[in-house]
Amino acid sequence: MPTQDNSADQATLTRDEQELIASATLADPAVQAQPHAFYRALRHGDPVHLDPTLNSWLVTRHEDILAVQADPLSFSVNKGYHTQQARGMQDEYQDILRRDGGGYFPDAIMSDPPYHTRIRKLMENAFTAHRVKDLEPRIQETVIELLESVADKGAADAVKEIAVPLTIRVIVEQLGLDHGMEDKIARWSVAVTAQIGRMQNREQMIENAHEICDLQHYLIGKMRDREVNPGEDMISDIVHAKIPMPDGTVETLTFDEAVSLVRAMLIAGNDTTATAISNLFFILATRPDVAQLLKDSVNDERRMTRFVEELLRLESPVRALSRMTTREVELGGTVLPEGAHLLLVYGSANDQEEVFPDPRKFDIDRPNIGRHVAFGGGVHLCVGLALARMEVKVMAREIARRMDNIKLAIAPEDVRFVPTVATRTIEKLPITFTRCAV
Amino acid sequence: MGNLTVTMTDVKGEISTFSDVDEGLSLMEVAKAHDVEGIFGDCGGGCSCATCHVYVSADWMAKVGEPDDIEFGMLDMVSDVQQENSRLSCQIKMSAELDGIAVTVAPASGY
Repeated sequence: MPTQDNSADQATLTRDEQELIASATLADPAVQAQPHAFYRALRHGDPVHLDPTLNSWLVTRHEDILAVQADPLSFSVNKGYHTQQARGMQDEYQDILRRDGGGYFPDAIMSDPPYHTRIRKLMENAFTAHRVKDLEPRIQETVIELLESVADKGAADAVKEIAVPLTIRVIVEQLGLDHGMEDKIARWSVAVTAQIGRMQNREQMIENAHEICDLQHYLIGKMRDREVNPGEDMISDIVHAKIPMPDGTVETLTFDEAVSLVRAMLIAGNDTTATAISNLFFILATRPDVAQLLKDSVNDERRMTRFVEELLRLESPVRALSRMTTREVELGGTVLPEGAHLLLVYGSANDQEEVFPDPRKFDIDRPNIGRHVAFGGGVHLCVGLALARMEVKVMAREIARRMDNIKLAIAPEDVRFVPTVATRTIEKLPITFTRCAV
Repeated sequence: MGNLTVTMTDVKGEISTFSDVDEGLSLMEVAKAHDVEGIFGDCGGGCSCATCHVYVSADWMAKVGEPDDIEFGMLDMVSDVQQENSRLSCQIKMSAELDGIAVTVAPASGY
């Protein structure tokens, strides 16, 4: 295990690192875009660090994130998530949803045990690795359709034309929603995610809140329909779900809970999985060694699985998610008061050199490759992880079979990232490529 | 209450025997119900994490069988602690045939 002693490394900090700890903030879009030096300085100098601009503690070390994940009662997701949501403008945000969006529906899955355990159980069965395996042929068809739609142009925006439409089409089919709404659902996804990004001004919050009102009306309409016309889709499953209680009785979800869960299922995986696919294109376009590695691995299931995992570690789509302490608690040598808001900085833990030697190296042979926390962990481990992995893997495989000479159509330093603390998301990624000789 | 028996050695070496196990439960569920140390089952039994990893004792391996491709892919994520007799306990369902099975909880993947 790495040292737990915070002071041990402080003496060896460079002047630049000391400066970063003293004055950098994760609220700075430049730090968000290229965060690794900041993360490293924090891990070595102040691993549980109060970011004064965000008024959140940044938890940057792998072992400390694991400790938080192992204690979901002291570190509450319910309080952390709902505190972060529209932070600073919460009353107004919730009023808009109540007035214009059919209601304010707190996220039932963003809750704490034992309540969380019952809700979570409902979602888990939908996304087991074996169920997702059954979806593979359909995901493959969708991937091929998207890649073929741009193949003859030799150029595309990998984010808007490939990554985002894929994740939306897949979840739309699972939920039994309508095709042809990609643009709208993409906007809704951005609006929901922006609420935990900490970068909205009031005007943007209001605009995003109205997008969420739209989203909720759409989903509520679909749910009303499935109440009377149940089908073989996940909205019907949620609307008619039966929750076994500890005393042996069975309960159904309240309407508020059901709306929040359908909303979460539609939105949660879109941006994040699309980001993983955008990162895949970025790395293939900028690292010929990785592009070659993919070509060499494409017919080896084990290596493809590892390829995806290493991509998720190296460029983790989810940067940092929230917790709040429910009591005074020590973490990594720092005593946190009750009510402290934390951000678990997964992107930092996955770059920690004591856990992943030579962390910027793309190495699919790492013996602890599954140790990354790109999907979080503990009771709140991403419930859609098998689906996300499958989408990225099928995309990687079909790219390798269909595309060659992938290059950025802009300079790497001109790639822009969405301003948010929650994810590290490429805004758009113009690429050029040639068609593979099949 | 069932009547099947399972013996588990937890990650610290402590051995427990449970003799009231229901048919159909996974070994992960049995371990969670008894707070067996080292078994987390983060993904809930979906074969999507490797936090319920056990070693099956040699004489039981033939009855339990090999992992399928999906399970093997997850075990390969923790290859530093993977062995020939590695299985994810969420994928082993208790049946009369497995009455008396013994497994050892694997350590977490390392740094």
